[in-house]
Amino acid sequence: MESKRKLLNHFLAALAYRTQKALRDAPPDFGGFRVKDGVRTPAELVRHMTSVLGYARTHFIGGRYSPEALESLDEEVERFHEMLGLLAEHLRNGAPLLEGMSEERLLQGPFSDAMTHAGQLALLRRLAGAPVPPENFIVAEIEPDRLGPDQAAPVSPDKVWPEAPPDWKA
Amino acid sequence: MSTSANQKRELLRHTVATLAYRGGKAIANVPEGFNSFRIKEGTRTPEQILAHIGDLLDWALSIAEGKQRWHDSTPLAWNEEVARFFSALEAFDSFLASDNVLKASEEKLFQGPVADALTHVGQIAMLRRMADGPIRGENYFKAEIEAGRVGPEQSTRRTEFD
Repeated sequence: MESKRKLLNHFLAALAYRTQKALRDAPPDFGGFRVKDGVRTPAELVRHMTSVLGYARTHFIGGRYSPEALESLDEEVERFHEMLGLLAEHLRNGAPLLEGMSEERLLQGPFSDAMTHAGQLALLRRLAGAPVPPENFIVAEIEPDRLGPDQAAPVSPDKVWPEAPPDWKA
Repeated sequence: MSTSANQKRELLRHTVATLAYRGGKAIANVPEGFNSFRIKEGTRTPEQILAHIGDLLDWALSIAEGKQRWHDSTPLAWNEEVARFFSALEAFDSFLASDNVLKASEEKLFQGPVADALTHVGQIAMLRRMADGPIRGENYFKAEIEAGRVGPEQSTRRTEFD
């Protein structure tokens, strides 16, 4: 695989890892948690993440992509990971980008969009009273072919977490 | 340096430039009092998040140099923290642009501090919305983002929407 595409593939793997971390052990009703009118719920955010990645994919295959809302957060998450896999396949097989697109534009647009939304999922976890434990991501087991919902446990979780909920154990 | 390594390093620089563009937009023209806006007890304020992003970028540089160090900084006044954000970006980007050997892979630098910083930019953007001072939507695919452009002077030719 060409080296820019290797890094983009790694970007998608990091996105899979961070999204799963933000969703792991979430409260059952987290998908519909709306902190304020006009702010997306977690399920809406994941759908939007799938949408922007699907938009990225149209720059390989043409057409348009506009996903319908699904019944549950679990279904949204499953579709999100499927889209990660589909998009990565184009990177891996050397598929050409359509006119006007480049690896840089994929990165600055839909890929980075999705990563900012992964951060928003983590913020919503905290606002929903179920924050995500911090870790050192640089040593996390992020592998380019691991794009599904089954992500590695943290290698180096923080030993100190000043904002931890009362029942947290290091 | 091989062509392959150069390409990855250039794409990492483009990610840093993306962070400058997107981060710069999220922290510009904030509503009065936004720096200390706290939506709920136990959550970080925007100034705490921005200080953390500055710490992440300092950390990134230290990893690239092979002298890893972490420092939890106390938030500065908002405008000073904004200036620190851009100066930390410039320091990191300058190292990436140099011929100095990277002491960590592009993948590790990306998956750690750079991706972290992007997620926190997303959080500041969400807090802007919660504070009734949302940033405008934008088609970032069309944005004039280029490696090395990591200061506060970003392109004003934008494809924005409400």
